Order: sequence, then structure tokens, then C-alpha cells
Amino acid sequence: MMSSRTFSLLAPVTLGIIILGIWEGICRFWHIPPYLMPSPSAIWRALMLDGVALLHALLITLEITFAALIAAVVGGVLVAFLLVQSPLIERCLMPYVVIMQVTPIVAIAPLIIILIHNTPLALTACAALVAIFPVISNTLQGLRSVDPDLAAYFQMHKASRLQTLSRLRIPSALPMFMAGLRIATGLSLVGAIVAEFVAGTGGNSAGLAYQILQSGFQMDIPRMFAALFLITVAGLVLYAAAASLQRFALRHRS
Amino acid sequence: MSSPVLSLAGIEKVFPNGVRGLSPVDLTVEKGDFVTLIGPSGCGKSTLLKLIANLHTPSGGKMSWWGGNFGDVGRKGRRMAFVFQDATLMPWATIAKNVRLPLDLEKVDRATADKRALAALERVGLGHVTEHYPAQLSGGMKMRVSIARALVTEPDLLLMDEPFGALDEFTRNRLDEEMARLCYEDGLTTLFVTHALHEAAFLSSRVMVMAARPGRIHAQYEIDRSILRNEEFRLSDQFAGISRELAILLEDASRESMIQQEMRA
Repeated sequence: MMSSRTFSLLAPVTLGIIILGIWEGICRFWHIPPYLMPSPSAIWRALMLDGVALLHALLITLEITFAALIAAVVGGVLVAFLLVQSPLIERCLMPYVVIMQVTPIVAIAPLIIILIHNTPLALTACAALVAIFPVISNTLQGLRSVDPDLAAYFQMHKASRLQTLSRLRIPSALPMFMAGLRIATGLSLVGAIVAEFVAGTGGNSAGLAYQILQSGFQMDIPRMFAALFLITVAGLVLYAAAASLQRFALRHRS
Repeated sequence: MSSPVLSLAGIEKVFPNGVRGLSPVDLTVEKGDFVTLIGPSGCGKSTLLKLIANLHTPSGGKMSWWGGNFGDVGRKGRRMAFVFQDATLMPWATIAKNVRLPLDLEKVDRATADKRALAALERVGLGHVTEHYPAQLSGGMKMRVSIARALVTEPDLLLMDEPFGALDEFTRNRLDEEMARLCYEDGLTTLFVTHALHEAAFLSSRVMVMAARPGRIHAQYEIDRSILRNEEFRLSDQFAGISRELAILLEDASRESMIQQEMRA
């Protein structure tokens, strides 16, 4: 008998291989030209051929992703702490947080890119803006999700504001914060790619989005797929890393 | 003569929505008492306990702890501990850290706190799980940890709000026996809220039977404190007699609570 863990890994991988096989078969059997739909083998060849350039681009995109994630986490946590201080502050600020969230980043990105001359910085700002909302809302909700009896216990034992914050509020907020962090990790990558698309920056500091744009102009569709493949892998790795960080931080709680 | 541990004179509570939770209550708890508050739901027994813990403020009346006001509670000889209906542990902290919490809040040094936490856990028979986390423990064990967290401060008054309500009968009886030992052998003054009649009959030196709408003390019932409260007592005719008399008082209180409600309707 197979363990359920092995099975849950093996099943989707098998399905993936079957689909790739059918894809390859269709492309070869009907001689579909690669500029319409490249076969998996053609994509793989493009990846091997241009791997170094694409990986370099991926690294640039990841740099922006991480910088944006750090900015979103630091900024988001600070905003959440500010909002939780008083109902007045929250009532004043919350609508703007929501406005920021509902405005599509594609619409604000050109403005940010004009305002901030340093391109990597502008891209980071765009991506951070996308990622910050789940951090704010989850941390805020987490800071409020304190067990009322435990809060009463702290009050009864005359705990100071600082003790209540460090020993009760912050640990109570951790599960919600970690869930927010996981969402923010994915969104940072999305934000970085979208910002790169809008900025359309070429040259040495071009990220993966630019590689996709350029491949599109040159009708080099296999290369486009290769870049897309790298983005997907990067997204998966980031998601898995955030999920394991979450599991690690909350390992004792369930 | 020294002041009573707790003295309530005409304490009442009207909630902000105008509901009268507690009509004037008088209650005195002396050192070594095991006082149980029992009554139908809505009789204000938990409210009364929270007033005493200073988690609510009374709407009227006078209340004193060891003859003084709440500001002096927490000093040596005037320590109060509270045990909730749920264990109310910090899921992110080990059992040792959970028990150490009240000492940490008082900034007791680490080594002393650890030693006292271990001693408190050993008193409730859990000296072997200090490095476990709450999620790894059963409901009964978690409740024991919660009691250890109360004992670690060496309280002079222990307040318990339906602490074993969520546990199975067997576990509950074991914990009741442990509580009886703490109170009658170690002299821990306890104020206990429950809705379980057999628990009140087993543990108390005095039972306050409460009625609802508005919450008030309906009757008082004294039980001989020299009785050895063990498994044998639970099976005795004496226990059955106490339970029966309490049942009658409780039935009375419930009926009166209903009449009050009908009169209003």
C-alpha cells in the first residue's frame, strides 16, 4: 500500500506527464508550427538555449519580489499596530487602506513609475502595494483575536500594556499573520511581474516580464513559454517556502 | 478577630442594557471556607464571581477583600487566583511557561519561577509534562494545568467558574477529589461556581443556592467540614441525603425563578 503522502505527490505528477505526452503528440502528429503552439520539447530546448539569460532575468524579478515582500510585511505590520491603537485612528485610516486595495495596480503603476525615477525602486513600490493589504487585514484581525478569558486573566494579574502586547497580543496574532504572509508572498511575485510589464524596462536590469514581452515581439513563442515556466516554478517554490514557514511557526498549536 | 477573606454587602449589578443581573447580594467568605454558588442559568453566579475578580464593576453595594480594597489584592497574604470554565492556556507556550505566567507577569526571577511552576505541576500530578504543549494534552490534563497556574501564586482565595463543566464524569470526580484535598487539607479558601448538584454536595462547606430574574441568593446550606471527602463519601447515605436536600432547595429556586419570569410576562 502506498502512503497517502506519496500518493498525493505521485497522482498529480503522473497526470502532468500524461498531459505533456498528449501535448507533445498532438504537436508532432499535426505538425503544429511552434509560433502557434510549441511542443514541450521545443520549450525545453528554448529553456536550455536561453537558460542563463532567463535565469538572470528571474533573479532580477525575485529581487524585486523579496524587497516588496519585506516592505509589505514591515509596512503592513506597522499599519496594523497603528490601526489597533484606537477606534478613531482605524475609522480615519481604514477607508484609505480599502481604497488602496480596490484600485487595480495596473492602473496606478504608470503613475508610480513616473513619480519614482529609480526603476527597481518603483517596481518594488508597485509590488509592495499589491502585497500589503493581506498583511494589514490579517495582522489587524489577528491582534483582535485574543481569547477574551486570557485577556481577562492578564487584566486580573495587573499585566502592563507592554506585557499584554508581547505575551498575549503578538502570539495570538501569529496564526492570522502567517496566513497573511503566505498570501502576500504570492502577491509580491504577481505585483513584481505586473509592474515590470507596465514599466517595460529593457536592458541589463530587465526581469522575466520583459523577457516575455520581448519574446512576444520576436514571435519566439517557445522562449515565452520557457519564461512562463520559470515564473510558475518560482511561484511554487515561494508558496511552498511560505507554507513551511507557517507550519514551522505554528507547529505546537494543533 | 481578623477580617473575612471576602465581604459583600448589598452588591448589585445592572447591565448597560437595563437588565438587572444581580439584586443586592450579601456574602461573607471566611478563611478555609469552600463556598459554592449554584443555581439555574441566568442566576448571576458567574457575574458574581467576575465582580469579585474585579472583571466587572458593581452598580451598587460595598465589597472588600481581606478588609481592604482591590488595589491591595495581590500582595502577600491577599493573593487571588481565577480558574475559568475552559483551561484558557496559551497554545503557543509549553506547560511550564503557562504555569509560570503569573510569576512572569510579577517579574519573579526565572529560576525561582521555574522551581515553583514545577512544584505546582507536581501538586496536580503533572510534573512529567512540563515541556509539552497544551495541544498534546487531554481536556482533564489541561484543566489540571490551569489549576496549577492558579496554585503557583500560592493564592489565599481561589475563584473557580464552572471549571470542570466540559469534562466527563469520571475525570470530573477525580478533579473534585483533588480540589477537596487542596481545600480541606491545605486550607485553600475557595469560591466555586457550578451547575452540577453532586459537585456542590461533594465539595462545599457552604452552598449558596441562587435564583434568577433577578439573580439573588435564595438559600444557604452548610455542610460539615470535618467529613473526609473521598470516593467513600460519594457512595455514602450521608452524601445522598445532602444531595437530596440540595436538590429540593435548587428545585425551589428554579420554580421561583420561573414564577418571576411569568409574572413579568
